[in-house]
Amino acid sequence: MSRKYRGGRRLVALTAIASAMTLIAACTASPSSTTSNGKTVLKVAYGSQFVFLTPQLAIKWWGTVAHEFEKAHPNVTVQFVPIPGGYPDIVNKMSLLFRTPSTAPDVAELPAGQMGEWVSSGFLLPVNKYLSTASYWNQIPKSVQNETLINGKYYGVNHGENTNALWYNMPMFRKAGLPVPWHPKTWADVLAAAATIHAKLPSVTPLWLAGGSAGGTIAIQYNGGNLLAGSTNSTIYDAKTGKWVVDSPGLRETLQFYKTLAQKHLSASVSELLNPNAVDGLPGLLAKDNTAIAVGANFYAESWVKSTCGPCWLQAPKIMGVTKLPTINGQGAGYASVLGGWELSIGAQSAHPQLAWDFIQTAQQQTNMIDASNWGGWVPPSNVANSAAAFVNYAPPYQKFFAALLPASQEEPNTSPFTVWGTGFNNATGAIIQNPNISIDAAVNVMKNYVTTQLGADKVETIG
Amino acid sequence: MSISEFTPAATPVGMAAMPDPPAGARLDKKRFNWSSIPLLLPALGLLALLFVGPVIYSFYLGFTNDQLLGPTSKHFNFTGSANLHRLVDDPVFHQSLYLTAFFVIGSAVVGATLVGLILAVAMQNALGVTRVVVGGLVIVCFVLPPIVVALAWYAASTAHGTYTGLFGMPNADFLQSAPLLVVSAANAWNLTGLAMILFAAALRNIPTEILESAEMENASAAQRFFKITLPLLRPTLITTILLMTLLALANFTVVYVMTAGGPGTSTMILPVYSYLQAFQYNNLAYGALIGDAMVILATILSFVYVRLSRERS
Repeated sequence: MSRKYRGGRRLVALTAIASAMTLIAACTASPSSTTSNGKTVLKVAYGSQFVFLTPQLAIKWWGTVAHEFEKAHPNVTVQFVPIPGGYPDIVNKMSLLFRTPSTAPDVAELPAGQMGEWVSSGFLLPVNKYLSTASYWNQIPKSVQNETLINGKYYGVNHGENTNALWYNMPMFRKAGLPVPWHPKTWADVLAAAATIHAKLPSVTPLWLAGGSAGGTIAIQYNGGNLLAGSTNSTIYDAKTGKWVVDSPGLRETLQFYKTLAQKHLSASVSELLNPNAVDGLPGLLAKDNTAIAVGANFYAESWVKSTCGPCWLQAPKIMGVTKLPTINGQGAGYASVLGGWELSIGAQSAHPQLAWDFIQTAQQQTNMIDASNWGGWVPPSNVANSAAAFVNYAPPYQKFFAALLPASQEEPNTSPFTVWGTGFNNATGAIIQNPNISIDAAVNVMKNYVTTQLGADKVETIG
Repeated sequence: MSISEFTPAATPVGMAAMPDPPAGARLDKKRFNWSSIPLLLPALGLLALLFVGPVIYSFYLGFTNDQLLGPTSKHFNFTGSANLHRLVDDPVFHQSLYLTAFFVIGSAVVGATLVGLILAVAMQNALGVTRVVVGGLVIVCFVLPPIVVALAWYAASTAHGTYTGLFGMPNADFLQSAPLLVVSAANAWNLTGLAMILFAAALRNIPTEILESAEMENASAAQRFFKITLPLLRPTLITTILLMTLLALANFTVVYVMTAGGPGTSTMILPVYSYLQAFQYNNLAYGALIGDAMVILATILSFVYVRLSRERS
């Protein structure tokens, strides 16, 4: 054998050993739960772009809480895990973080939706034993507390909630001869007002109600979900049978509302309603002064103030009124609103659950809770906080109004199949928006076929 | 004299002696060069780590009940062919296959390849300035990030957009009324620059003497193109179609940003459906199986194209 080949084999062996050593070193490196100076590291994961009204407000709030916590716990360092992107990105990234012990956060800011899935995954620690130290806990309405109640245990505390109502343009109403303040009692009253606006002010959009799948299932809690909550039968998931409702009087009433709007040209264009920004972009749209009525959330008020400027609309209190979205016939509480909130939870694998709870307690101190709600576009869950001057006066006169909706607002199901159900619902509303002449039966079938295909025929039902 | 007693004749008188053969391995056959291994090792390692390993794991995952979020997210099990049965019976998957075929053939095979070829041929005889400007613009379309492509086409094809205005229908919404066509056009618009570059390079390698001879023989421009240029472009054509096909098959961003697979499921191509199942419905295993279907599809198409290109050579 020539010397050339012996040298080649030596080189092969050396390269293989070097590569293997590099690989082993890379694979065994892992983050430590203590810093180099021996302090305990507490990992806190949160949505850095989507949750608060601006990323800067998120940094400011979390920074304040961390500073206060570290001051009270000098041997602890807070390590933030900010998650950029939208709602699905937060859910996905959090899920991936929780799957590995070395990356699982101690404290996580989680959406109330799918809370059942977080719990069934085994990712979260029950907090029942800590609640006795939470002075604010009994100030939170049962409906909000129950967002994290799974099989008798609570898995987090609410950080802030959204509620929904009807926004209306007062000058447009006066011009059209409609009453201000406006207090519709039924859906028929709402449609009548929209028809009047359409007749008297043809250049404006009478009633904005987004639909379709572009906004995702999160958008349902800000548009059609509120109508369904106010219908004669708002059941989405039948807990008795364990099945998802794909046809009901309530669903048909909701779809009929969409159809009436589309057929009588009482809403915006197809393009605008099916736009992915049809919900989040509404504060900006209302500020352009060309929409008379909109089904929308409380966070618009907090978007318009100077400290948020999303956009800046300081004249909003003189132009935009708010009124409760009535139930279809005025039944029940007389109004409908869907809850949409964020929870602070402790990771099941946290090595420092008590410290994690202490961090949550710091975050939930009244000043921090109010700041979170003002900067996050929420209503504070505590009825003491949501009636405090610091919250009420942040974006008057809207804050008090939306806080009052909290006790009777409804939660949507919090398990994964809701995403499938929601996609089916969005497909049905989108079909109607695109083709107003489609029959309600056909629209219901769009939803029924999709959800049945995805979940199985044994997981769906028709009621009524 | 018997054969065993035969000895080769000595070099005949007057002829020069044959030189001794060179020492070492024979050079008339390809042999593996062992000293190339250290040079190949990093690439092989990356290939194994970033491609082979994940693909094998993805195939395994497709036959489990792994979830992103849910009771089987931490501890999942092998479930045999359950997911496969689901895939076979899933009407959305069947629709997705058809939509993907339309998208790939329409935007890549026909759209980008054809337009790229036309542009390359047209630019051969164009003025220098025209070639630079048009070529530059087309290449810019190719190098734009997919998110920019998606947002630009979204703005242009919805109400009050550029295209709706150009067609004199400012309130029309092309994206909602013909979603698959619009996303296919967006993808073709994005990929055309690459096809044009490949064809332009191939056209430059066609000997001009052949074309000049044909011209002297009174062959028309169409005859010269179809009888001479196109056959000589066949290897490039096949390579380009393969490249465009694979790029279109893997396209996710443009379609997801523009329509998220909607309205309804009208643009639910395989990559979008795989993402929806894995990351919105938390069915990680089922999403992986749909991805596996894409890998198999891409592999089959690659074999077909490679076979077609080998037949000629």
